[in-house]
Amino acid sequence: MSDLFKINITYSQSHLIMPRIILGVLMILAVVIFIQEYLKARKAKKPFMNIKQWRFFAKDYDKVKLFGSIGLLFAYIVLLNLIGFIAGSIIIASLFNILYAEKKDKKSIAICIGISIIETMVLWFIFGYIFEITLP
Amino acid sequence: MIEFGVIQLLVALLGVVIGIIFGALPGMTATMAIAIFLPLTYAYDLSTSLYLLLGLYVGGISGGLIPAILINIPGTPSSITTGFDGHPMAKRGEAVRALRIGITASLIGGLISLTVLAFFTPVLAKLAIQFSAVEKFLIILFAMTVIAALSRGNMTKGIFAGFLGVFISLMGVFPDNQKLRLIPSLLTTELRDGFQLLPVLIGLFAFSQMFSEAELGMRQMLMKDNVLLDGKETRKFSFKDFKGQIINLFRSGLIGTFIGVLPGVGGSAASLMSYSQCKAWSKHPEKLGTGEVEGLVASETANNGLTGGALVPLLSLGIPGDSTTAVLIGAFMLQGVQVGPLFITQNPDIWNTVLFGLLLSNILMFAVMFWPIKFLANIIKIPMSKLYPAVVLMSVVGAFSTRNGNMTDVVTLIVFGIVGYLFSKIGLPATTFLIGFILGRDLEKYFIDSLKGSGGDLSVFFSRPIGLGIWALIVGFLIYAFLDNRRAHREKLA
Repeated sequence: MSDLFKINITYSQSHLIMPRIILGVLMILAVVIFIQEYLKARKAKKPFMNIKQWRFFAKDYDKVKLFGSIGLLFAYIVLLNLIGFIAGSIIIASLFNILYAEKKDKKSIAICIGISIIETMVLWFIFGYIFEITLP
Repeated sequence: MIEFGVIQLLVALLGVVIGIIFGALPGMTATMAIAIFLPLTYAYDLSTSLYLLLGLYVGGISGGLIPAILINIPGTPSSITTGFDGHPMAKRGEAVRALRIGITASLIGGLISLTVLAFFTPVLAKLAIQFSAVEKFLIILFAMTVIAALSRGNMTKGIFAGFLGVFISLMGVFPDNQKLRLIPSLLTTELRDGFQLLPVLIGLFAFSQMFSEAELGMRQMLMKDNVLLDGKETRKFSFKDFKGQIINLFRSGLIGTFIGVLPGVGGSAASLMSYSQCKAWSKHPEKLGTGEVEGLVASETANNGLTGGALVPLLSLGIPGDSTTAVLIGAFMLQGVQVGPLFITQNPDIWNTVLFGLLLSNILMFAVMFWPIKFLANIIKIPMSKLYPAVVLMSVVGAFSTRNGNMTDVVTLIVFGIVGYLFSKIGLPATTFLIGFILGRDLEKYFIDSLKGSGGDLSVFFSRPIGLGIWALIVGFLIYAFLDNRRAHREKLA
């Protein structure tokens, strides 16, 4: 019986003790959540795991802005490696500003680019120049 | 000695103003403001950066009252109840009066919680110094129980998110035997030390919020009646408005502080509980919600009461009290300062700076908001869509500088932005995840150390009186959570 309350600690294996325990706890919790959701659905007399009616995104969500944002972020990493911080940031900030802007005529695009240049230069000046923080 | 001069004053003022802007814009939060300004702490020493961060914290919590009163949309979750009575007042032509009452109540709430922080933290720290690895392990377990217990109606998901955070924090090398675990073989160099805290938290609190706003089209939440300040003032503010509110002020301030002390419970819980207590004690409960000073005072005193309260467990036990202090812990870690039971005795100067910085931030917040409020109210017209690109640049700079220029951290930032966004979709609380992530390594260390001391015997966790006391608290909270969950469920059905 007392062996039940003992954990063998071998030096070479000690890095695996905690991950195993936590993984076990997570699995138990996942099962509990699954059962809870099932019971909830049964009580409400709704079909369980109602995939057809389940909606991940908000109704009429803005596909361009959402996936555009994620795409631009990855593009930013590529650009930082290729052309450096100032040029890369101006391009990406401009694209973000244009993406989020409500109107997309010539004037507002020009404003977006202007704002992006100012934002980038201010950041470069504060972080890179005054505070000497490593910039990408 | 407290380090204080012109620079510190300016930095605190800057923090308060930026905090108010982030707090006042629905769709941007105080936590986000602190997260993206953390990298600046590399440039300053810890005490100067603390002025900035505490300014952001106090400003961020306080700014939320502006849109709550003017357009009935809380700028931060903690101002959720402010609009209940603040907005009806504004509609009656008492917008400026409501704003000034809210600002004054915020100041008083901040000062009450500061007093509690100053007296309570050393006591708790003194108790915690006697903790061995066993009790340290149990106290983290306790913190995680409390977090879960108070995520009402959502307890299992709360616990799950917390343990998931612990699991993710374990990735990388285990310091005891220098062995790598949980890392795919392709990424062994990049993720040798696991994920870094700073990009994880900026991703969770800045990028995920941005994705959610982008999904909704980045629309400014302005309503047609946002011209409330141009109308005629029917009643002016006077300090006499606080007549008969003294008990309410203290009750709400203390409720806010107490909720702040409990780990992982956010500001919305503080103001909701304070508001419902106000209703329970009120002489005219039926009038609440129609524009009563009482309700406004209860909400705003409580949410600023949170600020000092949330710092108590952070500075005495090393456990963050809410999402914003979870980000603040990052500032201490970046500077190599250990928060926990020994913090005050080992860093008396920093401790005094925290107290003074918090006092200064509260006073500055009042000065910046009270008189120029008519002008300041225009903040809510700043387009969020023009601020987010700047947030992107600051976040990337911050992540990149975490380890002096490592692209892996920028990728981590984006990945956790997406993770945080997915969490919000499936109802997993990001705050609980972050607290698990921050405490995970300590949880493991104390667990293994306890077992090493006992030769692997698990009964060591039940062998000391303080430990048994903590167990009693854990069980007590679980029972409370279970009953509370059932009650919440019944209320839902009824």
